[in-house]
Amino acid sequence: MDFELLASSFLMGLMLGGLYAAVAVGLSLIFGIIRVINFAHGAFLMVAMYASFWLWYFFGIDPYISTIPVAVLFFYFGYYVQKWLIRPIFIREKALVIEPLGVLLLTAGLDLVLSNLALLFFKSDPRAVVSPAASATIDLGFVDLNIPRFVVFILSFAIAGALYWLLNYTEKGIAIRSVGQNREAAALCGVNVYGIYNFTFGIGTAALALAGGAMVPFFYVTPSMGLSLGIKSFIVVVLGGLGSVPGALIGGLILGVVESVTAQFVMSTSSVIFSFLLFIVVLFTRPKGIMGVLET
Amino acid sequence: MEKKENGKMPRKKIPLGGWAAGAVLALFLIVPLFIHNPYLLHIFVLVFLFAYLGTAWSLVAMAGQLSLGHAALMGIGGYVSTLMFMEWGVTPWLGMIVGGIFCGIIGVIIGYPTFRLRGPYFALTTIAFAEILRIYVENTEEGPLAIPLRGGMGLLVPLKGDAPGVFQFSTKEPYYYIALLMMLAAVGLSFFINRWRMGYYLAAIRSDQDAAEALAINSTKYKLIAMAISCVLTALGGTFYAQYFRYINPERAMGLSMSIEIALVGVVGGWQTVLGPTIGSILLSPSGELVRAYLGGTYAGLHLFLYGLLIMVVVLFMPNGLNDPLVRLFKRWDAGLRGPSGGPKDAFPPDPGRASPLPGRRES
Amino acid sequence: MKFLEVEKLKKTFGGLVAVQNFDMTIEKGEIVGLIGPNGAGKTTVFNMVARFYQPDSGHVRFEGKDLVGMKPYQVCALGVARTFQVTKPFVNNTVLENVMVGAFSRTAHAPEARKKALEVLDFLGFQDHKDVLGHELTTADHKRLELARALATQPRLLLLDESMAGLNPAEKMHLLELLRRVRDQGITLLVVEHDMKAVMTLCERIIMLHRGEKLVEGTPQQVANNPQAIAAYLGEEYAAA
Repeated sequence: MDFELLASSFLMGLMLGGLYAAVAVGLSLIFGIIRVINFAHGAFLMVAMYASFWLWYFFGIDPYISTIPVAVLFFYFGYYVQKWLIRPIFIREKALVIEPLGVLLLTAGLDLVLSNLALLFFKSDPRAVVSPAASATIDLGFVDLNIPRFVVFILSFAIAGALYWLLNYTEKGIAIRSVGQNREAAALCGVNVYGIYNFTFGIGTAALALAGGAMVPFFYVTPSMGLSLGIKSFIVVVLGGLGSVPGALIGGLILGVVESVTAQFVMSTSSVIFSFLLFIVVLFTRPKGIMGVLET
Repeated sequence: MEKKENGKMPRKKIPLGGWAAGAVLALFLIVPLFIHNPYLLHIFVLVFLFAYLGTAWSLVAMAGQLSLGHAALMGIGGYVSTLMFMEWGVTPWLGMIVGGIFCGIIGVIIGYPTFRLRGPYFALTTIAFAEILRIYVENTEEGPLAIPLRGGMGLLVPLKGDAPGVFQFSTKEPYYYIALLMMLAAVGLSFFINRWRMGYYLAAIRSDQDAAEALAINSTKYKLIAMAISCVLTALGGTFYAQYFRYINPERAMGLSMSIEIALVGVVGGWQTVLGPTIGSILLSPSGELVRAYLGGTYAGLHLFLYGLLIMVVVLFMPNGLNDPLVRLFKRWDAGLRGPSGGPKDAFPPDPGRASPLPGRRES
Repeated sequence: MKFLEVEKLKKTFGGLVAVQNFDMTIEKGEIVGLIGPNGAGKTTVFNMVARFYQPDSGHVRFEGKDLVGMKPYQVCALGVARTFQVTKPFVNNTVLENVMVGAFSRTAHAPEARKKALEVLDFLGFQDHKDVLGHELTTADHKRLELARALATQPRLLLLDESMAGLNPAEKMHLLELLRRVRDQGITLLVVEHDMKAVMTLCERIIMLHRGEKLVEGTPQQVANNPQAIAAYLGEEYAAA
């Protein structure tokens, strides 16, 4: 096996993994604390990317700059999705012990709604930001490293780091973690559980929007891209351990590398099969994931 | 409509819901005598097909697990019977049975480790399995044992014109009646399962598995039985699909959107009841098809948007599907017509099919 | 052949020894109580007999048959039924349907199961609730439902897990009465309980656990006057006084 080829595919895998990690970290937080699977996660990403794209298209705002206000906007978007759509289901579910399947279905419906609204309004032509920065590369000798992808790679660490800091070194973060561990006990300690849920969902979505903004320079946006990335995010979250932010990072990187390297041996479309297989194997053998801290 | 679910003691009076269901059935039987427009008949076929698939799907849902990968079973069934026909000339009527058995076995093998997973994980795993299959078939021209899978091109069923012996007809009417028959068989099976011990056991398992085990219920066994039946039925539906459209490909027949459509009729209609998926299909199939046909060109994706919206509305406001409000409506009319002697208490004896881990209580 | 024989049961969770060296024999027709302070290991023993936990070592023999490796549903089929401390009704089903699930363990025929279920409900004086949904019941009725369901499986040995918990004195009296009637039908009872008064009234023999081991065994009188027992519950100073 050609070493250079392997090394470059490994590196590409890391970049890809960074992307997966950046996208999945928000989901890991949401799932870990609120215990809901947001099927619409990919659709949220897609909408955030369109927002960045249109801001660039109509107003010429650089995506790296617009990503910040977009992220703030999406914090509120996520906040209200949790508050208005998901919370009512929780309230109904109060007496039951199992995770609400209703939320699963609701978010699946939301995903359909968002992707197809996008399809109706934006049509299916792929959009990409055209900028010289998009194809800038660093020459590493055996491979050219694409700068925007590298930025996303770094960003994944930054987002993970920021969330980790939030969870472990701030009062809010302690409240969030306590709710994730035992919401009744947290409520008894005076924590506003539903408020925390809203906040957490908002933060998770904002993190997602940040990642999306950084992806716009090199990633084609289409209405249907959300689903595949959404599913990849689930894989990452399961791999890395539900509710573990560092786990999502590690899981994402592993997934990226696995996909990239196996793509050297099989057709690239088929390499997704390995991701799914990995997912299934992990669920069966070690459902807690690599860094799993929570019960499944 | 709930009338099909009762009947543990001999009933002298058939409540209103039963008459309504019977009337609808009678209507279905005579429709082809008056309607000859192939497109309209096509819509009926879709209604029956998805009612059939939704009912088959709901058997697993009754065991408490939401599968979002059922399209894979349909695809396998369709592929098996079609390949057997194309390569060896075996009539799809036989191929159908082979496909069904094959799927039943696969379902049990996959179900056994997967059933341990709870709600969302189970759903995600079914998606994973289905996608693995779809992607594999899509990218494989020639499969194991040199079986020509033809990849993403799909399989074109060799046209034989009007050939009942190989499950092909040149007009819509025969397909109409076959689909209707399949739907009735599935609904009937669901009805009896609910009446028998199996239905009670499935309701117990999905309500509280520990409590069920403490009452001598081998939950794994019953879940697998439900899974096997569901798989066999869905596979048969796959063969029908292949023979009706005379074409089957991985993306359409094994894809996630097909799995969602199958689950959708169940969710919207009420997946823990006997007639729920049928009700769901009656509502969704025609509207979906019409929207897709007439508006799909200019407004691609509109029908999916509507489906998504409908899911959200149903989950938020009618968590047990349309079946519940309809049943309540019929109960009220029934009480109004019959008065105290034939009131709901007698007419609607306990129905084990009602239990559900989906959010929401039935009344309130 | 003893009716129920428990021999040298041991169970650890992680590093904690929950139960060790536990022996117990129950004769047919007895009402035996299993008591002990919180954390003594009563529920662990209970769950090991009912096979919801697997012991690390030791044996449980019911009517001579070793229950090793059995799943809970197999145990129930053998004739050992249990209730749950935190009741687990099938909330979206009626009382009758709940009890029918139990009855189905002995017959596959729905009308027969229904008949048996109605008999059980009648026996417990519960038949007027037969069409009430599980989530609409009061706590006391939940307990009755647990009992009814377990009885419908036609057990020879009935394991009751803190069935008095959450009941007011009148409800407790009522339940005690029902339990005596159950025993009079020929069913042996093993009762895990916190409520001392109930245990003293109901049980013919009491076994007390303390820190995972059997401390005292005897008639209610004997146990009540046993200094070790008193010390375990109330503290050494009280016993000395």
